[in-house]
Amino acid sequence: MSVVSRRFADWIRRRQGPDGAVVTLERRRIYILPTGLGAAFGCMLFAMLLGSMNYATSLGFALTFLLAGLALVTLHECHNDLLGIEVRYAGAPPVFAGQHVRFDIALTNTASVPRYELELRAAESEAGPVDIGPGRTAVLALSVPTVRRGRLRLPRFSVATRHPANLCRAWTYVHMNAECIVYPAPAAPGTPPPFGADDSGGRSAVDRSDADFAGLRAAVPGDPPGRIAWKAYARSDELLLKQFAGGERQAEIFRWSALPDVDTEERLSILARWCLDAATADRSFGLELPSTFVPVGSGEQHLHRCLTALALFDADEPDEVPS
Amino acid sequence: MPHWLTVPVWITLLLFGCVLWRIVAERRGYPMPSKRTRILLTLLAFVAVFASFRTINGVEAGSALLMVMVALKFLEASSHRDQVVLTIVAYFVVFASLIDQQSIFIGAYLLVFVFVTTAGLLQIGRRGALRPVRATFALTGRMLLQAVPVMLALFVLFPRLSAPLWALPNDPQRAATGLSDSMTPGDITELAQSDEVAFRVEFVGEPPPPEALYWRGPVLSAFDGRRWSRTWAGPRVRRGDIEYLGEPTEYHVTLEPNDRGWTFALDLPREWSGVDGMTMADDYQLVVALRRGVAPHRQYRVVSHTRYLALDPLSDRQRAVLTRLPEGSNPRTLALVRGWRERGLDDDGVIDEALRMFREQPFRYTLTPPRLGTDSVDEFLFETRAGFCGHYASAFAVMMRAAGVPARVVTGYQGGELNAFRDHYTVRQSDAHAWAEVWLEGRGWTRVDPTAAVASERIELGAAASVRGRAASDFDFVRTLRFAWDALDVYWYSWVIGYGETRQRMLLERLGLDFATPALLSAAAIGAVAAIIALLAAYHGFAQRGRERKDPALRAFAAFCRRLARCGIAPPRIGETPTAFATRAERERPDLGAAIQQIAAAYVRARYEPDADGRALERLERLVRLFRPPRRGAPASRGTRCPANARASG
Repeated sequence: MSVVSRRFADWIRRRQGPDGAVVTLERRRIYILPTGLGAAFGCMLFAMLLGSMNYATSLGFALTFLLAGLALVTLHECHNDLLGIEVRYAGAPPVFAGQHVRFDIALTNTASVPRYELELRAAESEAGPVDIGPGRTAVLALSVPTVRRGRLRLPRFSVATRHPANLCRAWTYVHMNAECIVYPAPAAPGTPPPFGADDSGGRSAVDRSDADFAGLRAAVPGDPPGRIAWKAYARSDELLLKQFAGGERQAEIFRWSALPDVDTEERLSILARWCLDAATADRSFGLELPSTFVPVGSGEQHLHRCLTALALFDADEPDEVPS
Repeated sequence: MPHWLTVPVWITLLLFGCVLWRIVAERRGYPMPSKRTRILLTLLAFVAVFASFRTINGVEAGSALLMVMVALKFLEASSHRDQVVLTIVAYFVVFASLIDQQSIFIGAYLLVFVFVTTAGLLQIGRRGALRPVRATFALTGRMLLQAVPVMLALFVLFPRLSAPLWALPNDPQRAATGLSDSMTPGDITELAQSDEVAFRVEFVGEPPPPEALYWRGPVLSAFDGRRWSRTWAGPRVRRGDIEYLGEPTEYHVTLEPNDRGWTFALDLPREWSGVDGMTMADDYQLVVALRRGVAPHRQYRVVSHTRYLALDPLSDRQRAVLTRLPEGSNPRTLALVRGWRERGLDDDGVIDEALRMFREQPFRYTLTPPRLGTDSVDEFLFETRAGFCGHYASAFAVMMRAAGVPARVVTGYQGGELNAFRDHYTVRQSDAHAWAEVWLEGRGWTRVDPTAAVASERIELGAAASVRGRAASDFDFVRTLRFAWDALDVYWYSWVIGYGETRQRMLLERLGLDFATPALLSAAAIGAVAAIIALLAAYHGFAQRGRERKDPALRAFAAFCRRLARCGIAPPRIGETPTAFATRAERERPDLGAAIQQIAAAYVRARYEPDADGRALERLERLVRLFRPPRRGAPASRGTRCPANARASG
């Protein structure tokens, strides 16, 4: 992005202020400029005007002015096509670094007339065009490449339209305060988690007979409700999860300290790989990082928690999209 | 395209051919010509245009070239971009055709054309799935209807120029219409049968009687025995002073275009305005020096006197030229007239004698006279004795010259038809007329119309009526239709086609805006267009908002968030509940905490547990209305707008 466009973007941002979760497009934030075709059309009109003046042809004037009126109406239609659209952030599933994030943006047409050819554009990705009927909502996905793990902020994007004749393009910039978690890219499979209960603590195996009650742990969202210790809840007002040793064949804790000689990002990648493998094999596992501890668990939610912990390990401010 | 009327046939054929080729190729999947073929075709087309016009510059050659390009474009228009270019060129082609054709039909055609082309533009400009054709037409119609007010405003207000910006070289191939430069009796026959309009006249005040409506046109002074013509290699006749008599007659003329710079005015004009460079020629005809490539003038105002004394001082040489007859032609006429002179008749006597001859001998007025030989006047006077105005004027002038009286033939129009729908006269080509002018001592040029001696009704009723008789009644349906159409045509020509600098000034004067300068007019035009667009916007906004289905609670809460944002509290984040948001806001502005919590609670109630009578919503809206937080840094206000007040009222 050049200096000029960067400064322009900053100015727009200052001018518009931050946006909330739902943005209703109003007049003062809709910009409009002619497209290349619009410019050509304008040149044609100018030539026609000169011709009409020179030859004093009234019908020429009439045609010129009719087309000029048409151009103005087009401008107005184009602007109107965006006016009042509700833009809503509709989530972004987490991805691994190197993959593309899909930021879902929902556009709602609250008016009683259809809206045409709405499209989204972020730095490098585009979505649409899509027509939205009265009262309908369309979800468009902005796909944004990721490089590093951590948080990725939804980049500034534009909602635009070139309806009705591609003579002009109306657009608005939206700065939504939304972000997506980017997991560390998992390392190539191959480094197996160190097994054995040695002091270096690669993973600890819990070896009990089937269906043995193994204790309680704090319940987290996503845990199966059937295993919540409801009696304990009644006593202590605290949600606890009953843990059994037999059903979960082996519970392992992946520890940060198990990989002493690897640099941070590499370590996180390897840990991510372990978590993934364990989840694929449907094993229970926990994660221990210097700053965070995720107790043993299993399931989709648990995996997400572990990978998020890895993603946010020592993470700095949310990443702006490279542009 | 209307160009079909003016461009060479081969261009029309080429266009049709290319379009047909394209359609067939699309249907059958034939390949389009290769790039090399297309380049070759383009070069050939250039050469062909050049061969047809001897130039590639100028209006006609230029538009022909444009048409050729459009035709060839059909052979390659495959990409989106090509189609767009084709559309724009199509607009331009039809524009170019308007330079010399502006009839009411062309206007109607123009509307259809713009509609279709705009529909094409909308379809081409469409991104995503194509719309159904009917939807496109509906959209086109809607947009064009909205564009019409803009067009009208600009059309009326846009400042018109009286002089062109630049001139293009004129085209050599223009055909002339109207009267011609010369007259051989027989020439006007065709004109007499044509119903085409020559010009229209609106009189300011009482029009003169029909027998005084002589519209002066080209004057023919050279005679070669058969043919009267305008140009001769003699000394110029100096125009003398004119003494105007009687009451002046003021009128506006709307001229059908003719390519010779001729204008027509009532015999004899005293003042004229409305066209730059209009002058009176030495033969009293009003002429305009035609600038090359400039559309001919259309409208002008004249003040004429139907009675006058045109006292040209004739020198001997001029007298000789104006009485010259070719050697040995028309001997019988010469002998006849010399006989009158020998009887001692003076100039007036000769004129009377000639007119009496027309009146008393069996001369008849006809539009289909027999063909005449070399000594046309002799044959006409002594054998056929049948002819129309040209014959009579010619014969009369020859007789005068034979008597030594300077004489010439004046062509123009006589009479005109009063339109019942609108107070104006329409003068048609069938009203073309020729009469004679003789120069008399002390009276100067005097009009003598020998046709009137033969067929006085020709002068009173017009050429067609004098032949047909007045069979048709005034209530004749066809006649009424024709009048109506003619009235429409007059409006079209005087207010649409003829709407130029003059008309604009007239209109502004009528509106009391005659002080408007072009700059003011431009400003008015821009203002009018802005007003129209604003009206459109307001209408759309109204139409939409009226049916908007936004939750009022949401709207109230949004207003609340906006006010908080103004004192530095960021709007709710994704996934942040109203309660969480309120907590965060309270942390940031403890002074507003209570009000914030109250509003958040009211919002949650109004939005998620709405009661039947809308009390919760009312309360929320009232709280938000009263919530006017002081900006951060400003001293906490204790005024009526402070949050405590909001709390009290809640």
